[in-house]
Amino acid sequence: MAYGPSKNRSRSQNETREPNLIPIMNLFIVIIPMLMTIMVTVHLAMIEITLPTESAGGGGADEAQEQSEEEIPKVITLALLPDRFEIMVEGIEKIITIPQLSVGTYDYFTLDENISRLKKSNENQGTVELLPDPSVKFDTLLRSIDICKSNNFPNIKYLTSATKFYKAK
Amino acid sequence: MNILSVKVNRAGGGKFQSRKRGNKTKDLNITSLIDILTILLVFMIKNISMDSTQKNAPEGMLLPTVVTTNDLIESGKAVYLKIYPDKILYGTESMEVGSVQDFLNRADIRNSLLRLLQMEARAITSSNSKPCLLIQADKDLPCLYITEFIKFSAQASFANIYFSAIHTDDKDEVLGL
Repeated sequence: MAYGPSKNRSRSQNETREPNLIPIMNLFIVIIPMLMTIMVTVHLAMIEITLPTESAGGGGADEAQEQSEEEIPKVITLALLPDRFEIMVEGIEKIITIPQLSVGTYDYFTLDENISRLKKSNENQGTVELLPDPSVKFDTLLRSIDICKSNNFPNIKYLTSATKFYKAK
Repeated sequence: MNILSVKVNRAGGGKFQSRKRGNKTKDLNITSLIDILTILLVFMIKNISMDSTQKNAPEGMLLPTVVTTNDLIESGKAVYLKIYPDKILYGTESMEVGSVQDFLNRADIRNSLLRLLQMEARAITSSNSKPCLLIQADKDLPCLYITEFIKFSAQASFANIYFSAIHTDDKDEVLGL
């Protein structure tokens, strides 16, 4: 005489077995804090500057004569002063002055416009000489460099005054 | 009107007796939690950056914001210099070398920092790399100190100098609009 399947057996076949998620949970609990700690929250940028170099002097005079005046790029100097920006272009007497909008607020928009205009008139020039006043903040310096670089002046020559506060031994 | 009635079973000496519901404990359903964690995991793996130049901003320092960015020169190796208004930290280990005022006024501080930079530059050059200095300075720091550090690092054979800033794609932010 054959017996039918037991009630317990038929019950266990109908019920779906839940997977054991505890090892996965353990793994996640370790991985997620680890990823959160090494995740880049802010993207840092690097701005390269060029140090002033001593002019070689002598020689090259003939070569310079061969070049037409228009081909020689004009030196553009941007001075960062406590109350204004000043842009000096070689061979042009008039200095472009950009006063502050209010005390401590520089007019970066007008600076951007002027630098953009200078680039259009001096397309073969890729360098801006920067002369910051000692009291000007680092933020102003970097914004000015950024404005020059974003207007296709990739080389920023950082001019330093001749005054030395110390003498390294 | 529903009246909540409690039947008190005082058969066992006047004490309350709770009905036994069996020994089987109900399992916590963590499937939804696993779903969330899986999404988080995928999101983080996608956004993770292994670029060594994209370090987090130094703690307690407000960096300026810029649009443009430059890459480190080929075979360049950067030495970090963090300049806070009240202290200078050197290298990736953030070794404190004194304050910015000390840097200008005290010869011993300048000499020790110069020696450190020269040693580092020599070590980088010997490994056929180019020494680069990455200056991370607070946005309110006067340029006086920056200029002095640039002069100083040039003495220590660091020809390639970089400033660190926070990158943004919004130019209006830089222009203050």
